Amino acid sequence: MKIKLTRASQRDEHTLAGAYAMDAISAADRERFERHLAGCEECAQEIASLRETTAVLGAAAAEPLPAGLKERVMAVAAMTRQQPPVDETELVPLAHGTWARAGSWLRSLAWPGRLTLAAGAAAAAAVLVVAVGFGVANSSMQQQIDQAQASSQQIAVVLTAQDAHMTAGTVAGGGTATIVMSHARHALVFTAQGLRALPASRGYELWLIGPEGTRSAGMLPAGGHGMTGPVIASGLRQGDHLALTDEPAGGSAHPTTSMMLDVAL
Amino acid sequence: MATGSQEPGNPARPVPAAGAGRDLAVQIGLVARGDSAAFDAVFEQIGPSVFGVVKRVIRDPAQSEEVTQEVMLEVWRTAAKFDAGRGSATAWVMTLAHRRAVDRVRSVQAESERERRIASAEIPFDEVLEAVESSLERERVRRCLNSLTEVQRESVTLAYYRGYTYGQVASLLGVPTGTVKTRMRDALIRLRDCLGVAQ
Repeated sequence: MKIKLTRASQRDEHTLAGAYAMDAISAADRERFERHLAGCEECAQEIASLRETTAVLGAAAAEPLPAGLKERVMAVAAMTRQQPPVDETELVPLAHGTWARAGSWLRSLAWPGRLTLAAGAAAAAAVLVVAVGFGVANSSMQQQIDQAQASSQQIAVVLTAQDAHMTAGTVAGGGTATIVMSHARHALVFTAQGLRALPASRGYELWLIGPEGTRSAGMLPAGGHGMTGPVIASGLRQGDHLALTDEPAGGSAHPTTSMMLDVAL
Repeated sequence: MATGSQEPGNPARPVPAAGAGRDLAVQIGLVARGDSAAFDAVFEQIGPSVFGVVKRVIRDPAQSEEVTQEVMLEVWRTAAKFDAGRGSATAWVMTLAHRRAVDRVRSVQAESERERRIASAEIPFDEVLEAVESSLERERVRRCLNSLTEVQRESVTLAYYRGYTYGQVASLLGVPTGTVKTRMRDALIRLRDCLGVAQ
């Protein structure tokens, strides 16, 4: 009886194949169906053939690309690091320090001075794999995943904005900074390399300085090898400058040391 | 990924004869190695399809451009994840594109639920096909869509070209959800056979 029920529910599950292949299901249904797919090779093959079919439907809707779209994407691609192929030996879940590990991977992807759109999403995915593999879903882990995903989404929005443009600056005391900003999106993406290491009690703080005053744009995450980013700073206004100072690790309300970087945005 | 005998250590080398005829899967393999000429070729080949399907779902041209950019950038970033053993490169890219477009309309859906309900009173199928011009591929798709039953055809066009869930399609067509689920699967299987899609 139990077996019959299971079969019936599997069959029922399987009728979702068409809706799934057309993305015509809710996120919750999608997740449930993907669990079903993972254990059903036959279903995976059917989905593959239905995806080939929907691809033809999609191709039938082809339209000429708007002028300049390809060039914009290629310009952003040129400064976007690609995800490495899957290395299955790296996906072993660890009991402790999993977030730190993903975090250091994120920093290592920031070598050297390239904008790493991939990093946030990849780190989020890595954490997710670790969390799922280990069967944990505690709220702080979930929060970290959410934050990493939200931040990578924001970064993508800036990097692909139509008015996105890049500028660079030299940091007094060592290092260079690369900034991609979008005034339309009121945000910028900041990366730096070669920054002088600071004692644990100190940190680098970003500032937006404009006609309406000085606002903190957040602390740079402490990075190995003087590398940091990408970090997103929002609230950008016309006429702002971006500055960097050395502050207590907890951050300051106003700059308390001299500007190590001053870039007009 | 089998992409021929080219050594991976030389991404700067231009791709010879990168015309549209060159296999998209091979091009994506080169993109995974950071080859921007291959990315250019991929863009030329599949970009219009990506933009077309995204715009069909989203409608708003500016948002459609944005999502197209995101999709193509995702192709660049994740080219190494493409597995030719699991389907064609076209299906891989178009799946990314359609899912992103749908995610975009669903994320703004709650706030515009009312407008959407009103807008959905129009009948999409004719309009979709009206815009379809006379290329052979399009003619084939039109013929195959026409070979479906009405509920099947409406289910596919509302779901795929409009981005509705099967639950929304069910309420639009006034049919039970179970029926819509079944019709969607039947319809795609019939289309697959009619279009002569491999696999």
